Amino acid sequence: MQFRIDNASGRPVYQQIMDQIKRDIAMGRLIKNEKLPTVRQLAGQIAINPNTIAKAYRQLEQQGIIVTKAGAGAFVANLDSSLSRSVRKKLISEELERIAVDAYHMQIDRQTLLEWFDNAVVKFNLPSKKG
Amino acid sequence: MFALIKREIQDHLVYFIGAAAFAAIFILISIPVVGRYESIKRQGYDYRTPEFTVGIGVPVVAIVIIGICAMGATQMYLDRTRKISALLSTLAVSRSRILLARIVTGILAILTLLVPLTIAAVILLRLYAPPVLMYPGMVFEIFIAVFLMAFACYCIGLQTGWNSGKIIPTLGGIALTCIFVPLILIKGFGVHIVVILVLFIVASLIRTWHTFMTTSL
Amino acid sequence: MDQNVIKVENLVKYFDGRCVLDGINLNVPRGCIYGLLGRNGSGKTTIIRILLGLEPPTRGQTFLLDAESSELSAKLHSRIGYVAEGHNLIQNYRVGRLIKLCKDLSLQWNDEFFNHLIETFRLPADRRVKELSIGMRAQLNLALAMAIDPELLIFDDPTLGLDTVARRQFLELAIELIQQQGRTILFCSHILSDVERIADRIGILAAGKLVVDCPLEQLKERVKKLRVIFPESAPPNLYLTEIINQQIDGREMVITVANWNKQKQTVLETFKPSSCTEIPMSLEDIFIECTNSNPVSITG
Repeated sequence: MQFRIDNASGRPVYQQIMDQIKRDIAMGRLIKNEKLPTVRQLAGQIAINPNTIAKAYRQLEQQGIIVTKAGAGAFVANLDSSLSRSVRKKLISEELERIAVDAYHMQIDRQTLLEWFDNAVVKFNLPSKKG
Repeated sequence: MFALIKREIQDHLVYFIGAAAFAAIFILISIPVVGRYESIKRQGYDYRTPEFTVGIGVPVVAIVIIGICAMGATQMYLDRTRKISALLSTLAVSRSRILLARIVTGILAILTLLVPLTIAAVILLRLYAPPVLMYPGMVFEIFIAVFLMAFACYCIGLQTGWNSGKIIPTLGGIALTCIFVPLILIKGFGVHIVVILVLFIVASLIRTWHTFMTTSL
Repeated sequence: MDQNVIKVENLVKYFDGRCVLDGINLNVPRGCIYGLLGRNGSGKTTIIRILLGLEPPTRGQTFLLDAESSELSAKLHSRIGYVAEGHNLIQNYRVGRLIKLCKDLSLQWNDEFFNHLIETFRLPADRRVKELSIGMRAQLNLALAMAIDPELLIFDDPTLGLDTVARRQFLELAIELIQQQGRTILFCSHILSDVERIADRIGILAAGKLVVDCPLEQLKERVKKLRVIFPESAPPNLYLTEIINQQIDGREMVITVANWNKQKQTVLETFKPSSCTEIPMSLEDIFIECTNSNPVSITG
């Protein structure tokens, strides 16, 4: 797992770690029930205070995004939970808003934008909504 | 403790070598001179005269005293400039131990000088000199007095070395010679001298100890 | 055994009539990594030297491992690892001799770990300390401090002179040490990104006072920088307390406030601004503003 800590960011380090783990899960880079590195491993790997990482893990567990099993470590939670969906919605919506703003400045109209978007959806074979 | 003393000795080896060399040279020169005392006396040179004693004695004593004084001063001065105690005091030693090791090293250097000289003097006197009226313990008393005198010079060196350069202790050494040598010539080696010297040494050491313990490193 | 490994009580220090420290109070609990920040000359090194008994305080007391700083026994010194600014080593000695001296004078020495560090840093044993580069002296100092397996580490600008890779190595070493339970680290650094990575608590020294002393993660939440735009010219006085910095330019006001809370939000809203956006502040931004202007206290 790679992490980039942005020192110019206004967000505390533990939140940045949380953000990146959430993003990885939502993007499919971390899959359901996959084992996360231990606090010790991650701390040594990216040279971050283990307490900070522990806090990030605790918060993620509170939000139901990961689960810790005593003696076994931390695992990505079962992805079908509704909380993860709300996270996914937030992340995608933010991206969509950024695209909408860019489109506004480039004077692209709504229909054209939706058409281009549909092309992208088809290109990546996103499945249709489950019945 | 042993490591501290070893370090001090290694850093100031030049003084030990100097002391040993001085003693050796002095002894080697004295042997033929004392041995042929009778023949030289017949030739007209009698060096039991005051001029001779003062002429050779005083410079020799002055060199020794200045050397000992300089050793004390050097030990403290180098510590200050090389920040030796600044490092040592953050290790598992206390400041008092550092100072104690330093003083022990100084004493060892003085002994390196005095012990061979004393042994040689005793042997030479037994062999060659006319029977001097020696009361038991005279050698010991003289040795103690000389040792205390040397140690007192050393203490002055220690005291002044921390704050100043090496010039002042050297001047101090010369001043001491002017005070102590006449003192001994007048008073002789006796209990009085020992008492004065011990008081002086104790006061000086207390002052040095206090400075060392409270100074910023 | 007290929870606080380092205690500073009302510390005041004058140098030649100039006040460097003006009533510092600081507690570092066991297991904490405390990053002490401050501009050059703000007194960070002075605090550390007083803590270690190298310098006497003018007023006040400091305690390390429950003992007063002026009475630190040899045994306590053996539990403390110290890396000094300027790397306080005996310059004339050869590296090998210095190592032997420190080893002989230590009460516990982790030879394996030390040799591993010396190899990692590639330090030559036969060169004189003064011939080493600054970076290598820093690494030697570090290795000597860590070899005694200390409970408390005090670092004064430990990465001064280290190149990027060496700095990263140092951070990883520090993390490795922290992973072993019960170790405490107090360190000063100018490299804020390093501090942000590994510190639990932050202290910022400015004008002789500890203006910030709080957990790092809270710091960004407690200091808020806002760009407020008013329909007509900005009011000169917002009646907000703990303003660190304030700049007005016509209708726009950029204001940095400490300990932001709902009350302050309410007060601001009474002035009916047309927009109010938050400008994110990095640790560097917070540091610059806190050391620049009105001393506002962020403690807790």
